[in-house]
Amino acid sequence: MPSASYSATSQRPSDLLSRLASGDGEIKLKALREVKNQIIGNRTKKLSFLKLGAVPVVAKILADDVVTNKANDNNRNNLIIQSAAALGSFACGFDAGVRAVLDAGSLPHLIRLLSNPDDKVVDSAARTLRMIYQSKLAPEYNLSEQKNIEFLVSLLNSDNENVSGLGACIITRSCETIGEKKALCDAGVLSRLITLLNGSLSQRDSSLESLATIFNGNPDAISKFVGPEKTLSCVIELVKDRYPRTRLLACTCLIVIRNMSPCYLQDVGIATKLIHVLLELLDDPGQVGDEASFVFSSLISHKEDLQKLALENSAIDRFYNNLQKVPLHPKRLQGILLALGDMCSTLESCRSKFLSLQVLNLVIDALNHDTADVRTAACICLRSVFRSIKNLSAGRFMNETVVIPLIQLSQDSCTSVQVAALGAISNIVVDFTTRKTTFIQCGGVKQLVQLSTSMDSAVRSNALWALRNFIFLADDRCKEGVFSQLSASLLTRLICDPEPSVQEQALAFVRNLVDGCIDFIDYVFAEDGIILNAVGRQLQSALKAEIAIQGMYVLSNVASGSEVHKEAVMHQLLPQVDDWTQSYMIKFLRSDDSRLRIAAVWAIVNLTCPSYLGAYGRVVKLRNGSIVSQIKNMVNDSCLDVKLHVRTALRQFMTFGDCSI
Amino acid sequence: MSLFWIVIRQLAEIEAMATSKKVITREEWEKKLSDVKIRKEDMNKLVMNFLVTEGYVDVAEKFRMESGTEPDIDLATITDRMAVKKAVQCGNVEDAIEKVNDLNPEILDTNPQLFFHLQQQRLIELIRNGKVEEALEFAQDELAPRGEENQSFLEELERTVALLAFEDVSNCPVRDLLDISQRLKTASEVNAAILTSQSHEKDPKLPSLLKMLIWAQNQLDEKAVYPRINDLSTAMLEDPAV
Repeated sequence: MPSASYSATSQRPSDLLSRLASGDGEIKLKALREVKNQIIGNRTKKLSFLKLGAVPVVAKILADDVVTNKANDNNRNNLIIQSAAALGSFACGFDAGVRAVLDAGSLPHLIRLLSNPDDKVVDSAARTLRMIYQSKLAPEYNLSEQKNIEFLVSLLNSDNENVSGLGACIITRSCETIGEKKALCDAGVLSRLITLLNGSLSQRDSSLESLATIFNGNPDAISKFVGPEKTLSCVIELVKDRYPRTRLLACTCLIVIRNMSPCYLQDVGIATKLIHVLLELLDDPGQVGDEASFVFSSLISHKEDLQKLALENSAIDRFYNNLQKVPLHPKRLQGILLALGDMCSTLESCRSKFLSLQVLNLVIDALNHDTADVRTAACICLRSVFRSIKNLSAGRFMNETVVIPLIQLSQDSCTSVQVAALGAISNIVVDFTTRKTTFIQCGGVKQLVQLSTSMDSAVRSNALWALRNFIFLADDRCKEGVFSQLSASLLTRLICDPEPSVQEQALAFVRNLVDGCIDFIDYVFAEDGIILNAVGRQLQSALKAEIAIQGMYVLSNVASGSEVHKEAVMHQLLPQVDDWTQSYMIKFLRSDDSRLRIAAVWAIVNLTCPSYLGAYGRVVKLRNGSIVSQIKNMVNDSCLDVKLHVRTALRQFMTFGDCSI
Repeated sequence: MSLFWIVIRQLAEIEAMATSKKVITREEWEKKLSDVKIRKEDMNKLVMNFLVTEGYVDVAEKFRMESGTEPDIDLATITDRMAVKKAVQCGNVEDAIEKVNDLNPEILDTNPQLFFHLQQQRLIELIRNGKVEEALEFAQDELAPRGEENQSFLEELERTVALLAFEDVSNCPVRDLLDISQRLKTASEVNAAILTSQSHEKDPKLPSLLKMLIWAQNQLDEKAVYPRINDLSTAMLEDPAV
């Protein structure tokens, strides 16, 4: 009869710990095994042993025996194997454990053990190292040093699966820059990985993972890999493998190749197959199913044709079905939400499908999820769906069930959630109906104004973005409401924010603020025109085209107003230096960015509109400043829009009859 | 497997010919069968794969010596795997867990479901042996935290603890947990996980080939009358009832 028994008291961690320190090798070994068996698979135990300081004790046993075990005796080897295994378990999927193992200084000892003559010792050390290198906390493996590359190659070339797997794992984790990738290819890593593709299950998987890493951003390696041999078809075969993990990794590898090299794998057949396999993998109950949606996103993201193909292959239905299975692992939920977001990012047909399936309610539920990543993903998904102009115009999204949770999330304790929530709000407030009041009543504007003073620049920038969209084509009551809360002085500060992205949004806000009715232009003249002066200052120092574009449109919109407005713009354009060729206006007209040239010419067109009395005087000033001649040079601009506006400007110059021009 | 594709090809040929059910006599059928060449090495590999996967280590060793077929896995690892399986089958779960961890500590560290099922089996054994207090303590210390991490584990845990509520378990709605079949289920789950960790397929190829044979015969039944294999254990061709 088996003797099933359990007693928590006899296995108390603190007792075990004192036995670990025993001088008797037998007792020590038994205690080590006991610790190992208690923590494997058991997060709670890992944590409690960790808190008791078990990791340094185990690490010391490992270190002592590595140093003293020259004779390679069996008992010592057992201690090494058990202590390495225990450290590996502490490090397995548990960041606090990884940190403790690293802090205890075990890494160099473990690496030394890889050349131990005992296979079991090597296995144990290699496994533990792999656990460590799978974590983000592992120290950077410096691939710019030749001796490190040689060591890595020797790991990959090992017949021991655990050791070659470790090599592949280090590549996957540490190989980031193109230089490192090229160095690895030069060292012959590619051909070794291709050999491993035909190896055992674990060798295949780690090879696929490493290949995907090396291929990312490295088309040269891809063409070398695809080259003469039939290696590509081998990976394509693996997409149909019986093991889900292998299928997923093969898909990942092919997608990287497809995304990186426009000459491979572009046919619809392979894309359809990838979509099918990935959608099927969603049904896997484990980690593979959790990751499948992320890989799916990497396939369809920013690719309209593939989004369409995925829609035709019922992708949205499949994601919807999976969303309904509760409870979902947070990682899985996050992946599905992001995939849905990518699916709905460009195509209205996808958004219609999404809305027809009532997925919206499930996504709104996810806004209240405990995990920050899930809340962020739900916001990102909503932002894509809110791009549906058709539904926005119908006022379908602007209701309290959507708006209130989003406003709440904009004050979330986690910044990424805040930023994503503001992103969703930005799209929802572009509401063409009269429902903007709903947003104000929910406290939205007040909240956004407050967030525009956040310490985090991404939050400031996104809050301004939302406000900028909110006042787009809004009526005077709306604009007045926002402007009075924001105040001229705060707006001025934001225009001069140290962060370029905030400057851009602040300028874009002013651009929308003064757009429309002529009365709106007066906003920039509040408090002695501090706003307009700030705009002028930014234009003088603008380093990014995006900032200059928004600034020029502010001037352009102001210049569409009365004489006073136009003269104020002229005042901003007049250079502080004597030399007009140094002026930003000339610089912008000569910019490589056609969007900036358009904005600049627009301003000139508005300034020289002949129906205003002062137009002649302004043309003269502009001519003296070489701007007129610059515009004449642009008559055959490569951008059609620029050309059109240039011709309008020239026609206006002509009305002043002037041969001198 | 080539055998399977040969059958499929024949099926296709017959399908092309037949409009009504075609009758194939025993002579014709046997002639067709004898035209199919199957390499003895392939058959041996199939047998070896079965023996290795199912863990018949002694037979596999004998078969290796007699047929010269090399197993695709170190036979010594089979012994370890069988020891684990046997320990679970005998209800000695703690021992099984220690053995798995010695074999490869990664298996239970990266497979929460399997780990839970083993712990659950341990709880079942405690309950079976009437150690109520220990069972409760164990459920609380070891299993409850897993239930917090995973909703479906929590449900299974609740089901298992329900065993304690009945003095006479024959009345208990979850009494199937005490069946020997529950041990076998857990044992086969561990077995499969160890095989996967050794990069070996977790199911032998032979049963799936036999399933394909049955499927192929069923397909053929729609189109033709032919000598059928009805008893897989003898593989005798039985004359069609015309």
